[in-house]
Amino acid sequence: MKKYTKLFSLPVLALGLLAAGCGADDEGGETADNGADTDTDTEEQDDTDEEAAELDGELVVYSARNEQFVQALLDKFEDETGVEVRALHGADPLQLVEEQANVQADVFISNDIGGLEYLNQEGLLEGGDYENADSIEEQYRADNNEWIALSTRARGFIYNKDMVSEDEVPSSMEDLFDEEWADVPNGYAITRGGNGGMIGNVSALRYEWGDERTQEWVEAIRDNAAGIFEGHGDIRRAVGAGEHAFGLVNNYYYHQQLEEPNDNNVGFVYADQGEGEMGAIANAAGVSKVSGGPNSENADAFMEWVLEEENQLAFVGESLEVPINPELEPPFEDAVRVTELNFQDMPLHELGNYFEDTTRLIEDAGLDLDLR
Amino acid sequence: MTDHNNSQNSQKNTGHDAKVGGSGSPALLHFFGRRWRAVWNGNPPGLILLLAGLFVALIMSVPIIYVAWRSLFAGADSWLRLLDGRIPALLWNTASLTIAVTVLAIAIGVSLAWIVVRTDLPGRRAWQWLMALPLVIPPYVGAVTYIIVFGPSGWARDWWEAVPFLGDYALNIYSFWGVFLVLTLFTYPYVFLIVSASLRRMNRNYEEVARSQGYSTAKVFWKVNLPFLRPAIGAGAILISLYVLSDFGAIAMLRYVTFTAAIYFQRASFDTASASVLSLVLILLTMVILWIEVRTRKKNKFYQTSNSYREPDTLKLGKWKPLALVYVSTVFVFSVALPIGVLVYWTYIGFEQHVIDSRFFGFAWNSLKVSALAAVASMILALPVIYLKSRYPSMISTGIDKLSYAGYALPGVIVALGMVFIFNTHIPAFYNTYYLIILAFVVRFLPQAMQAGEASLSLVSPRIDEAARSLGYPPWKVMIKVILPSIMPGVFAGGALVFVSSIKELPATLMLRPPGFDTLAVRVYYEASEAIYYQAAPGALLIVLVSLIPLRYLLKKY
Repeated sequence: MKKYTKLFSLPVLALGLLAAGCGADDEGGETADNGADTDTDTEEQDDTDEEAAELDGELVVYSARNEQFVQALLDKFEDETGVEVRALHGADPLQLVEEQANVQADVFISNDIGGLEYLNQEGLLEGGDYENADSIEEQYRADNNEWIALSTRARGFIYNKDMVSEDEVPSSMEDLFDEEWADVPNGYAITRGGNGGMIGNVSALRYEWGDERTQEWVEAIRDNAAGIFEGHGDIRRAVGAGEHAFGLVNNYYYHQQLEEPNDNNVGFVYADQGEGEMGAIANAAGVSKVSGGPNSENADAFMEWVLEEENQLAFVGESLEVPINPELEPPFEDAVRVTELNFQDMPLHELGNYFEDTTRLIEDAGLDLDLR
Repeated sequence: MTDHNNSQNSQKNTGHDAKVGGSGSPALLHFFGRRWRAVWNGNPPGLILLLAGLFVALIMSVPIIYVAWRSLFAGADSWLRLLDGRIPALLWNTASLTIAVTVLAIAIGVSLAWIVVRTDLPGRRAWQWLMALPLVIPPYVGAVTYIIVFGPSGWARDWWEAVPFLGDYALNIYSFWGVFLVLTLFTYPYVFLIVSASLRRMNRNYEEVARSQGYSTAKVFWKVNLPFLRPAIGAGAILISLYVLSDFGAIAMLRYVTFTAAIYFQRASFDTASASVLSLVLILLTMVILWIEVRTRKKNKFYQTSNSYREPDTLKLGKWKPLALVYVSTVFVFSVALPIGVLVYWTYIGFEQHVIDSRFFGFAWNSLKVSALAAVASMILALPVIYLKSRYPSMISTGIDKLSYAGYALPGVIVALGMVFIFNTHIPAFYNTYYLIILAFVVRFLPQAMQAGEASLSLVSPRIDEAARSLGYPPWKVMIKVILPSIMPGVFAGGALVFVSSIKELPATLMLRPPGFDTLAVRVYYEASEAIYYQAAPGALLIVLVSLIPLRYLLKKY
């Protein structure tokens, strides 16, 4: 029977630790405690900031944006205010719909205005009169600031300069109907249809072309793409490494790949910039306050905080997107300013009207589950 | 009612003295009382114990029943759309992968077992457990290491391109073959362990008869050994095919889509109707496999005669020795040395980059917390089920036992899906708390605690129970005061198994984790999918090390 004692000691040890942990909350465990005992330690730890004096408790953030860009922003908020941030990364806007009778989140961060405006139309977001909201042009905000976009991006093609030259890469969305693009060296890459950026892209095409043609387009890229990835980060890495000749991404992924120590010989083509073409498909990332969340005051504080200019830049963070606030200098070199591009003439909040049916269309075209 | 029924040890009691209840029609109650006793063979377990058992069965089966129920209300539209477009393709993907992995894993497992157990392979004692080692590497961790080495930008590409005449790098890990290989390498030990045990028990006499009839070693293997091994191979095959059906992590990382992955992605985009329809199909698929198992078990009964048992002899490998050694080492390199080596290498880099910080320990602490609590809960909940099954056998206790296996056989995504439904709509207070993760672990892994406990309980004589009952203890009290202390080692072994399975668990944790509560497994999955390997490796290595703990038990068990 002795042989069992080793096995047995483990859960017991774990339990012992558990008991110890409940008593003395360790500093590193900002994620460890789950609201059960609201943290009073962190409040004492924080030292300066006047606004911090009034805040405590926690803030639940759902984010559809890449964790790499968001976590630093949330850490900054936590450091400066003492509010404990509990983040769920990779959240889908529809999770907020499903939880509307049992609201969990205080703040929703998204990189797709379509999703934000959809939630707004469903009445799940709450507006507010924030001090610095005027720094963002009205077309990048909902009517009552239910959502506020802070950074923008445009769709286009990242390509590997070792494999193809600029004129061997498509220059418009329409080009992708053509099967010839399946024949570039190692083919090209797109994301899975469930990806927020892809949903926005398809919505914009529906606005431009109508449903039938858009569905044909989705089917065409599904058939012709050599790689279908979970996210855009996979695409930029794959194109940088020469696994595919080009890929359909947002512009900032190009800037990210440029900053890589190797595999960085990449170029970027903004789509549909020619005379008479529709202009690049734009989308934006922004923040919103969820209606009826458990920590409404902290959500207000977060909205005010993130609109401070310093924090608008922090929101852009490592994403290398272009800040929407025209006063702000993009935090990296050779950024293409919003004003320098020819954009599609669709108001961004239109995306909200397309959101729901777009996911259905993508599903019908069979792109929602593919990975290759 | 409890006290009325304490007529222990009365198998021949016809129930005349069963005064059940006080008022109402005595004749009718009498009738039911008698029926009740008949169900239990005259020895009913008492209300408290029975309720405890029923409670466990309820917890274990409700999430699954709920998913099935929801799928019926998904609407004809969803059903038709899926049946038309999605299901045939998924069925093909899932079935082809399951069959391919199972077949190759059997081939590898049986051949290794035969070489290691029956031949004079140098170092066979060591190989016996080295070959079982892949069991401690969760396939999603294995998949990460294979992407690092064989991925399109992996190390293998550099080697490949260094060889002048090979041309372009031609290995594609993100393919059927990649998934097939990775899953096989990390699941074959199930067959290996079970078949090894069978081989060791095989009676030499049969082989000698065959040999005396002029059979060659090869012919003996096919005609004598293999038929005897069929039950063992079958048991291993079931474990493997159920695993392939349920795996999410490795399959998603290698960009293959089976039912389980599809359900996860449907759920992630909140297409709940489709997710539950696909779940029902997957439940049916699982039941088909279980049915096949029951069928083959009934058909194939082989008996070893124990009275003339003689240990099997060791065959001389002779000129085959180098070849056998190469084969065994190759499997070891690809299923153990390579993944562990990669993890150690990236952990070292991560260590230099200071990724093992307070955040990392926060995740480790979360993993530890949910896994330890799940282990404790399983130890407690397993007790009434196994006690009922062994001391009060009846239709009802068998039913409770069977229901407790529901979550074990089914994929974690389905268990998690059911829990999301139930808690979000009916029990919102617990929704988005880590208690849900613990509950999901219990539903998924309770049978591991049950099996370990049962093994111990079978060694305790029922006479002890009877003695305690005759001194006036009700059945539940006998279980806790008398039986529990003597089966403690088995219960704790079960707890350890649950603990390790929980640490490794990925899909249910991903779907149920509340905001700000990531575990090591979740981080490994996320960081690996972002290709930040130096962050993923330390967590993965820690999971592998923890999984080593119950290996000794597993080796003993088979």
